[in-house]
Amino acid sequence: MALTLQKGGNLSLSKTDPTLSKILVGLGWDPRATDGAAFDLDASAFLLAANGKVRGEPDFIFYNQLKSPDGSVEHVGDNRTGAGDGDDEVIKVDLSRVPADIDKIAFTVTIHEADVRKQNFGQIGGSFIRILNELTGAEVVRYDLAEDASTETAMIFAELYRNNGEWKFRAVGQGYAGGLRALANGYGLNL
Amino acid sequence: MAVSLSKGGNVSLSKEAPGLTEVVVGLGWDPRVTDGTEFDLDTSVFITGENGKVINDSSFIFYNNKTSADGSVEHLGDNRSGQGASDDEQVNVKLTGLAAEVKKLVFAVTIHEAEARRQNFGQVSNAYIRVVNKADGKELARYDLSEDASTETAMVFGELYRSGEEFKFKAVGQGFVGGLKPLAEAHGVSIG
Repeated sequence: MALTLQKGGNLSLSKTDPTLSKILVGLGWDPRATDGAAFDLDASAFLLAANGKVRGEPDFIFYNQLKSPDGSVEHVGDNRTGAGDGDDEVIKVDLSRVPADIDKIAFTVTIHEADVRKQNFGQIGGSFIRILNELTGAEVVRYDLAEDASTETAMIFAELYRNNGEWKFRAVGQGYAGGLRALANGYGLNL
Repeated sequence: MAVSLSKGGNVSLSKEAPGLTEVVVGLGWDPRVTDGTEFDLDTSVFITGENGKVINDSSFIFYNNKTSADGSVEHLGDNRSGQGASDDEQVNVKLTGLAAEVKKLVFAVTIHEAEARRQNFGQVSNAYIRVVNKADGKELARYDLSEDASTETAMVFGELYRSGEEFKFKAVGQGFVGGLKPLAEAHGVSIG
């Protein structure tokens, strides 16, 4: 049975499943019915060095740059893998190929044109992020974001990070009212 | 060499720092960059007697009571956001100035209004608490709050206690539910 994390909590993936090498990071959400304006939610990943910033633009994985140059992180897009139910977007990570100078990978979701459409995460429920073992399909850990985000238009769901030689997973659930721009700037990318 | 408290156990100060006379308890964390209320972490010290309770109400050193009666314990000021490099809050402890009746100092860290703000240490970046030998600046012990106290909102970090002529530091690293008020009351402070 999969473990669940509360906001702020962390888990050692290496300890939970020492065989983990290739993982699927599944992100999902249920937009509540609104006035008809469509929600366009995009999952992305930021590969971060020890200083918490990207090394360059290739470290930003999103719908227009689906794969990291080293092949360690790959955004699968909207394809349903069939490995579980409810994932809206999936990002694959091959832990053994993540470059040695990358200390952390942040998994984020942004609302496209949130300002113009007057949308924010307060309107979105059922958000979650989970890690699946790609080889076995088993869910390793899950974080269900509580519905307390209000003005954020870009959310950091979780982080995969190195700690003392292990890979760990932290439930973040924090974001920015300033959308993708604020999020990317925070990671050292000037969009 | 500093002992990381995530490994648990005691630190024998007689081995780490022979002849220790003064320590600084340092608390540090990164200011919040994401949206939401700031993270306001607070250090406190309980100066206790034989029974583990404070000698008197003024033996509870925190942001509203910064100096002990004998001047040996001094809180250098409340940092409400984590702004600044290195330690954001420091408490100075002159071991030689402590009265004979003082048997133990209990060091704690709490998140201000954690419950109302729905915050815990895991949400804060790079939060730590440490004990430093004032004489040479060497770190004697450190606890990584963000990593190892992630779902806690208050924690008893450790205890400095008399052992014969010297002081020993015992790593506690235990979370405490409820915040500063129940933590203080548990150590015998009457909160009006």
